[in-house]
Amino acid sequence: MMAKDMETAPETLLDIRNLSVDFRTARGRVKALRDITFPVRKGRIMGIVGESGSGKSTVLWSILGLLAGNAEVMGGEILFQDDDMLRKGPTAMRATRGEDISVVFQDPMTSQIPVLNYARQMFDILYRRRNMSKSEKRKAAVEMMRKVGIPDPDSRIDQYPHHFSGGMRQRAGIAMALLTGPKLLLADEPTTALDVTMEAQIINLLRELQSDLEATIVLVSHNLGLIAELCDDVVVMYAGEVVEVGTVHEIFHNAQHPYTRALLECDPARITDVSSKLPVIPGDIPDLTKPQMGCIFASRCQRRMPECRTIEPPTAMRPSGGYANCHLLEGPLRDPDWPPPLDVLTVRSGESAVAEKKAPDGTPLLEVENLNVRFRTLGPVKARLRGVADPFVDAVLDVSIKVRPGETVGLVGESGSGKTTLGRTILNLQHADGGSVKFEGQEISNMPEARFKPLRRDMAMMFQDPIGSLSPRKSVRALITEPLQVHGVKGVDLDREAERLADMVRLPKPFLTRYPHELSGGQARRVGVARALALNPKLIIADEPTAGLDVSVQGEVLNLMADLQAEHGLGYLIITHNLPVVRHISDRIAIMYLGRIVEEGRASEIFSKPLHPYTQALVEGVPQPDPDKRLTHVAVKGEVPSLLNRPKGCDFATRCPYAQDKCRAEKPAHELRPDGRSHACFFPLH
Amino acid sequence: MSVKPSEPPSEKDVGEPPIDSSGLPEHASAEEMRESAARERREKLKMFLTNWQGVTGLILVILFFVTAIFAPVFATHDPNALDIPARLSYPTLDHIAGTDQLGRDTYSRILYGGRVALKVAAIGVSISLVVGLILGMIAGFGPRWLDNLLLLIFDTVRAFPTIVLALATVALTGPSLAIVLTIVIVTSIPQYARVARTATMTLRNTDFIMAERSLGASTGRILMHHIMPNVVGPLLILAAMDVPVVVTVEAGLSFIGLGVLPPTASWGTILNEGYLVIRDTPWMVVAGGIPLILTTLGFTFLGEALRDVFDPRMGKGR
Repeated sequence: MMAKDMETAPETLLDIRNLSVDFRTARGRVKALRDITFPVRKGRIMGIVGESGSGKSTVLWSILGLLAGNAEVMGGEILFQDDDMLRKGPTAMRATRGEDISVVFQDPMTSQIPVLNYARQMFDILYRRRNMSKSEKRKAAVEMMRKVGIPDPDSRIDQYPHHFSGGMRQRAGIAMALLTGPKLLLADEPTTALDVTMEAQIINLLRELQSDLEATIVLVSHNLGLIAELCDDVVVMYAGEVVEVGTVHEIFHNAQHPYTRALLECDPARITDVSSKLPVIPGDIPDLTKPQMGCIFASRCQRRMPECRTIEPPTAMRPSGGYANCHLLEGPLRDPDWPPPLDVLTVRSGESAVAEKKAPDGTPLLEVENLNVRFRTLGPVKARLRGVADPFVDAVLDVSIKVRPGETVGLVGESGSGKTTLGRTILNLQHADGGSVKFEGQEISNMPEARFKPLRRDMAMMFQDPIGSLSPRKSVRALITEPLQVHGVKGVDLDREAERLADMVRLPKPFLTRYPHELSGGQARRVGVARALALNPKLIIADEPTAGLDVSVQGEVLNLMADLQAEHGLGYLIITHNLPVVRHISDRIAIMYLGRIVEEGRASEIFSKPLHPYTQALVEGVPQPDPDKRLTHVAVKGEVPSLLNRPKGCDFATRCPYAQDKCRAEKPAHELRPDGRSHACFFPLH
Repeated sequence: MSVKPSEPPSEKDVGEPPIDSSGLPEHASAEEMRESAARERREKLKMFLTNWQGVTGLILVILFFVTAIFAPVFATHDPNALDIPARLSYPTLDHIAGTDQLGRDTYSRILYGGRVALKVAAIGVSISLVVGLILGMIAGFGPRWLDNLLLLIFDTVRAFPTIVLALATVALTGPSLAIVLTIVIVTSIPQYARVARTATMTLRNTDFIMAERSLGASTGRILMHHIMPNVVGPLLILAAMDVPVVVTVEAGLSFIGLGVLPPTASWGTILNEGYLVIRDTPWMVVAGGIPLILTTLGFTFLGEALRDVFDPRMGKGR
């Protein structure tokens, strides 16, 4: 249908037609891809966006013929320069991979060879170029490293992946992918493993390279911001089907399919008004081992009609060649009022029974003052031998933070900022080296575990990895009642308690008999919340509570947390790198850089009037899910320095666009303003 | 404004279509979940049963257990009954595996010898598994110095050749089944402990152990409830592979006269006695060797099949 329309458009480099892929698993055949059809035009960036389980990565790997061993291509064709990739022999396939089509991986740490230096790895990529001499190859490699912005490439090319920082490694990964001058570049979540300031740099780099080299890129991501920043065309996938195709403006400004609309509305970065309630797409992705009828999104669609469950949705074409599959758009069930204007919500925003949040009380629940945590880098003997006077690094440096009952404090920082260490130190899982931690006025830092144990009833922690933080051989029932057993709570019926907690986090009772690996991320996160709540704590420290969750699910978890806060007057300390999320749920935000808090204040003010240049970089660096608001420049260059060589002056001075001599010479002290904000900058922006 | 804690915000409060707000598929009923678990179990069983090594191993292992436990039922003669006129007989209808130089029925002696092998294997393997598991978890979870100390002990024991250790011990105490058992246990503890230690160390820094600590769980509870269930799997597979080693150690020690004392039948003593008369009746050595080989093969096959089923990463792939 649409393939015909776009076929006539000049220069279709890659054409995927009616691709269907099954996976054979112990649960039965999973129909992972069904009838995928879309073209990729030459010289454009095509984005494939979808949540986990949508099959977006499967599409990518089918192009290269690198599907897992239990995958079976059931039909369709993938035309690349008029050759069907699915019918190529292994030799022809190998000749295409790396030469004509190459890949940028999500995690440069695991996709590069740790025991070979970059020069060797890049020679290997050019192994087919027999007529190239070694010095020519090296020259080409160095040139490519320079192009992707690696400083001093001539010497750094002889270094190994572990010598490079995360951002540099991803740049090197891009250099390796581009070395052979491929016609098509596949990028699988290229910025997901990176911090906000690095992400902005990589986005800029990809955009520059694309216009320089006129490369064609297929970009797979769940991040709407990234897609809006980079792509020209967008394919939206859901549960193994393409639901909508269009140009980036069509998708982001005039989405036709209810799923696309819902996805956009759920993205916290898009929601401008600050409310603690986020919109959600209720329900879960359908079980793809079962035969599907009608529209794949029907079970979760807010606009579904009885026919949606039985009749295959028609295709509504756009003049540009894009299309969407939905009954609302075409055929007898067409609704002329659909889609509504952009400012009308089509998904339910999580309203709750509890209306207003109580204003935080005066007496702080948690009071951290000048807390320091140091890690030893060398043993005492080695340090003496090497003449290192102070073999320590400061992971947390003079941190002060307060959480009042009913208050949510967001602690934001990039990786290596010490935010997780801080959380663990507060919970006495890590030794503190100075300063004080008070819980309800009582000093608790470095308290012996025996005395600290009763306090653990009042302070709970939620961990980053929702599934990995659950003991794998325990049932959900055992997991959520474990806190009661650990603390020897008497006189409760554990089964009843398990059901009460499951109810509280809206987890259906049949799930009590499941094991962690049988849960989805959102379900496992609910179990984590139930465990944290089992003993009615007063304070919850949540380390990246939305990590590993899809956009549509993270809203549910955050709404649940907000409801529980309103009900029980909980205090939250939310540790995260995800700024858009904390903006919606936090009362106050503290920004951490290299173990130090550089700015602290009310959430709205932090966003509207950042004082510290680093805060400004973070706020502006978040990719907006709007192609009209693309990042025009990269505010912050370089990378987070290693703790081992903390800058002498202000920690941020090495990267700060406003840095002056004074900043490089002395450390700015924390300054408290009359309006309750504090910052550590000599020259605040406002 | 607060709602009673026991009452979750119900869906009725939200005036929207009755969609399951839990974020869970509507079809996730209890039966279906049980069914999917059962299906997974059936799948594993099928994987095991279609593996010819696994089935062969299982049959041989069952044979080993049944013949050893019910030796008196299957035996045709008293294993120690002398029948001098029929000494060194080839297999006949009466003595289906022939007789030794004292006229004892080799077939019956092999059955009773299996009991010794089973006893050593069962007691030896289970004790070394339990002790190795505990020591390994302590080494992996405990402080650094304790880990180093335990490793030093393990390495010292492993560095000692089993036979030399046995010779030295027997020289002090004299041969007996108890000594064989002790030697088997002492020498095989380190390998269990090392596996348990490595597995514990990879677990100790995981999020879920950190989560348990943040709950206030004691070290004992973490070890027993959370580490052990995850460590014990590979150890059980190791144990299945270890049984033939233990059986051969027992046979070997008995063969050189350091193990079970005559007249008690053991596969080692049968081989030893047969070896003395190998020029007259090679049959005895053959009859004594066959059960040893079958048992070894059986347990090795079983262990490998179990590993393939429970740890697919180690297997040859699909």
